[in-house]
Amino acid sequence: MADVGNALVFDPAKLTFESIWTRRKIVASYWIAILLATPLWWKTTSIDRLSLPGSRVRSLGSRELLFPVDIAIATPAAHSRLSTDLLTSLQPALSEQGLSVTVDVDETIPSTGPGKYRISSRLHESKWVLQDRELCTGDLATLPANQLSDVLMRLLTPYTSWSSSEAHRVVKYSPRLRLAFTLLNEDASSGAAAISWELENSVQNYLNVTLDRFLVLHNFTIESQVQFHAPLAFQPRTLDVDGQTVHGLTQEDLTVFVNSAEWTLSSSVSNDPVLHFVLFIPSAEHSPLYILDQNGVLTSSDAFILPQWGGIVLLNNPPYHLTTSMLHNPFSTFRHQLLSLLGVPGLPPGVEYDGSEPFSDWQLDALVRHRAQENFVNSRETLNSIVALVKQIDNMPVGRDVRDDVQGALTALNNALATARSSSMTALKYSSEALTLSSRAFFNPGMLALLYFPAEHKYAVYAPLFAAVVAPLVAAILREVMVWRKARREAAAATAATTRGTQPAQRQRVD
Amino acid sequence: MILDYRNTLLVILSLCSCQVTANLFPESFDEELVLRPERDGRLVSRFAFTTVLDGAYPRDPETLGLEDHAQHYTLFPLALGQLLREYAITELHLTLNAGKWNYENWGYPEEFGVGTGAELWAWMGDAGPMSVDERWTGLRNALAGLFCASLGSLDDQRTTSPTLTFRPEGHLPQHNYSYQLRHATLPSEHVCTENLTPFLKLLPCKSLSGIASLLNPHRLFDADWHGLGIHVRYVRDTGVEVRLSFQAVFDPVRYSSDKKRGTITFDWSLHSLFDRTIDRSCPVAQSSKIFIRASNEDSAKLSPEPTTSDKHSVIFDVLKTPKPLDIAMTWPDEPVFQYPLSPPPSALTHLAIQRTLTGPNQSRGHLTVSITNNEAVPIKAGYLETMPWLLQFYLHSLKVTSNGTPREDLVSIVSYVPPVPHARPALLQALISLPANSTVVLTMDVVKPFLRYTEHPPDAQRGWDLPPAVFIPFGVDGEDLGARTGSNHSGNPRHDGRLHRLYSPTLLVDLATPDFSMPYNVIIMSCTLIALIFGSVFNLLTRKFVIVSLRPETPKVVE
Repeated sequence: MADVGNALVFDPAKLTFESIWTRRKIVASYWIAILLATPLWWKTTSIDRLSLPGSRVRSLGSRELLFPVDIAIATPAAHSRLSTDLLTSLQPALSEQGLSVTVDVDETIPSTGPGKYRISSRLHESKWVLQDRELCTGDLATLPANQLSDVLMRLLTPYTSWSSSEAHRVVKYSPRLRLAFTLLNEDASSGAAAISWELENSVQNYLNVTLDRFLVLHNFTIESQVQFHAPLAFQPRTLDVDGQTVHGLTQEDLTVFVNSAEWTLSSSVSNDPVLHFVLFIPSAEHSPLYILDQNGVLTSSDAFILPQWGGIVLLNNPPYHLTTSMLHNPFSTFRHQLLSLLGVPGLPPGVEYDGSEPFSDWQLDALVRHRAQENFVNSRETLNSIVALVKQIDNMPVGRDVRDDVQGALTALNNALATARSSSMTALKYSSEALTLSSRAFFNPGMLALLYFPAEHKYAVYAPLFAAVVAPLVAAILREVMVWRKARREAAAATAATTRGTQPAQRQRVD
Repeated sequence: MILDYRNTLLVILSLCSCQVTANLFPESFDEELVLRPERDGRLVSRFAFTTVLDGAYPRDPETLGLEDHAQHYTLFPLALGQLLREYAITELHLTLNAGKWNYENWGYPEEFGVGTGAELWAWMGDAGPMSVDERWTGLRNALAGLFCASLGSLDDQRTTSPTLTFRPEGHLPQHNYSYQLRHATLPSEHVCTENLTPFLKLLPCKSLSGIASLLNPHRLFDADWHGLGIHVRYVRDTGVEVRLSFQAVFDPVRYSSDKKRGTITFDWSLHSLFDRTIDRSCPVAQSSKIFIRASNEDSAKLSPEPTTSDKHSVIFDVLKTPKPLDIAMTWPDEPVFQYPLSPPPSALTHLAIQRTLTGPNQSRGHLTVSITNNEAVPIKAGYLETMPWLLQFYLHSLKVTSNGTPREDLVSIVSYVPPVPHARPALLQALISLPANSTVVLTMDVVKPFLRYTEHPPDAQRGWDLPPAVFIPFGVDGEDLGARTGSNHSGNPRHDGRLHRLYSPTLLVDLATPDFSMPYNVIIMSCTLIALIFGSVFNLLTRKFVIVSLRPETPKVVE
């Protein structure tokens, strides 16, 4: 009988698996599993973003390449006043342009080289003549220091006086350039046409010296083609000059001259920038064709430059076959166009160049320094943009190749900074490498990979699972908390009941 | 007066151009148009623009790492020349076609590459720093950019090397390395105006003068069949030759009914076909000729008078005829066109091919190829299937019957490269002996694989186009058969040693296509199940069991 009575008052809460602590452990273990899994989930779903050396990029700050320039004045020592005057007037202006100047008086003939120049008074008249890296003039004693410093300023930093249109004309730096020569007949079947040209000879005769001069900066690939039908996209203006009908291109026409829809000038095989040189033969209907100035008056010019694109020369009524000698004029125009497209500075007024090269060493040095500085600044800005972009867009992956390119570019930039003191050529090489690497990093296709997979998409997939799983877990926790609080309250009530009467104030507080 | 002056000038001009040899390699440009009236009222036209770079060699792949010599061209297309040198391509053939070539009525095409869609094949020397496959990839992408076509999709899943059927059409320069063939087809690619525009830009005279001025996209793409081709080959003792070709099959009967209601004639003129005439000749063309293949017994009248004629065709020399030139062909004896209901008296091709894919379901099927020998002599034929892994052959189930009797001995398999799913197509090359005037039927079981979710194209329900099979009729001794005898379309001088190639029509295979919202359904479904199971297990683990007594409290204990 007693057994039956025991069975009836059996309490399931006394079973081991029904104990309150077991239950709490179960709930806790679920939550611990979830908490431990969260980092793993985070890791597997997050985008691979390697950290970029942002502080190193920032530390480049506004640093510029600094090239030393040594000027030696080959005059008697009595004119040392000239050198101090020269130094004081040149120093502040040139150091702004990244040149650190030293001026010596040296009667012996010191060696010249990139960054080492000499001023001598070998002439008997007061004009300026450049020979290699030597500036020759008349008597230095009578020469005001500010006149000399003005000429030197314009020789050493010719780009400061450039207008924006001149600066805009120069093609972006690239160690490899393609020169595409095109003999472009507007309409060969109309009668006025040049069917062939002696291009290889002409390049050999008229351009090779110039191209060789540029070898320290660029490598050139040359290609050429002849086109027999190249219609213009507009109608040239018809004018009547001295009883003859001529056709003119207005300044607006020049800007839309290239009909890229119908002229096949570019090709797709390589990524090197192309400079086009077009010898345009107008059709019989449009010849003779001339260039008009702003007021619609004929000019003597037969050529024009399209900034960063190339040059065009008009040739009216050519023979069917253009021999090398006939191409002399167009090719000397092409040569001038090439010089200005590649950024060779002009000489200051009053200064002549007396040498066999197409342009002087002073100009070449200035160009090399300018290109190095330009590359340095561009590359630094590209790196800053990459860092800013990656910081701004959280979804943007940064792979190993991007990081390596950025680091490579930084190393090259630091090398350029270090070598600028000794050799501007080496600095140019490093800055060009930095530019290549930084642009490659910037345009890395991997950085766009996950940009188009929005987070909303992810949560739409996760929500049906996570919401359904988390709800009972949260409910279990709430229930446990409520049970625990209830148990505490009961325990407190029980304690209060035993001490009732003796300490009523305490009971009130427990409630 | 002015016109006369112009014409003389042009003649002088064209004479000059032939002698101009200022550049590294003398270049010459020839253009021709072949027009061929067919018995079913269609007019087959073929434009060919051939530029020869005299004395030039294809680039030696061993020099690929080095600086290439400067490229100077007068007539040769620079864009194509750069591409050939960049990847050291010895021979290149690209065709983009739309429509099904009707061999039964139209005979052999003037250009053999008439397979539907895009077909690209190239021979390359296997040497140097870049592998053949790297160059093949580069070539395909460069051509895709040049011709605005999706040739980039001719990837490894489409690329084979069928040397039996695609032999070099020119010569391969002798070197101490071997040459390799790469071939790929994309039957679903369609040719359209955006492909013709870059094609015309490669021509010296664009579409502005000479025969090319007839290439009017509005009419060309309205034709029943049309396709363009670029063929580059090296010919020993001549040089590198580029042939740009355009073929179109017009239906003059359709155009005539447009204009003159009631009278349906076969008469045509250049103007009625192309909506253009030749107003001026191309100043740099060495020759510019229009061939009209017409048999002597034909009662057709031609205007103007042709310049010359030979055994197979009448010839107009565009350089010499007065402009504008509008050739017209009329049949005065046949005022109303009668469609021929009887089959042609003699077959126009050596072989007639039918290929069908049967089978009711999406997992298995049968491929049936029936080849008819139209000759009175036995023929051997090369048979090529370059099948993407979308259709896999059970080669052991191959059955061959000839006129109803099993003849397993007729087929000998030259090579079979099995497909690798998701990676490589199958390549089947076989030689078939065809008894005289008989039909050989090949049947084979095929299996259709399952595709991955991401491998389906955007219009997945449409099915997949399968590339055409290619046949080459050889003589019994393996030699080229030469021209089809008994046909008036024979003796095309341009075929110079090329083997005839016949393309079967393409097939469409219907693969198992999923419901594309399925991944989301699966996600939701499995999430629901997991949540359900998780909920019940968790509930069971944390449930608190209590005894609820239903009887009144402390019943009396009965002794």
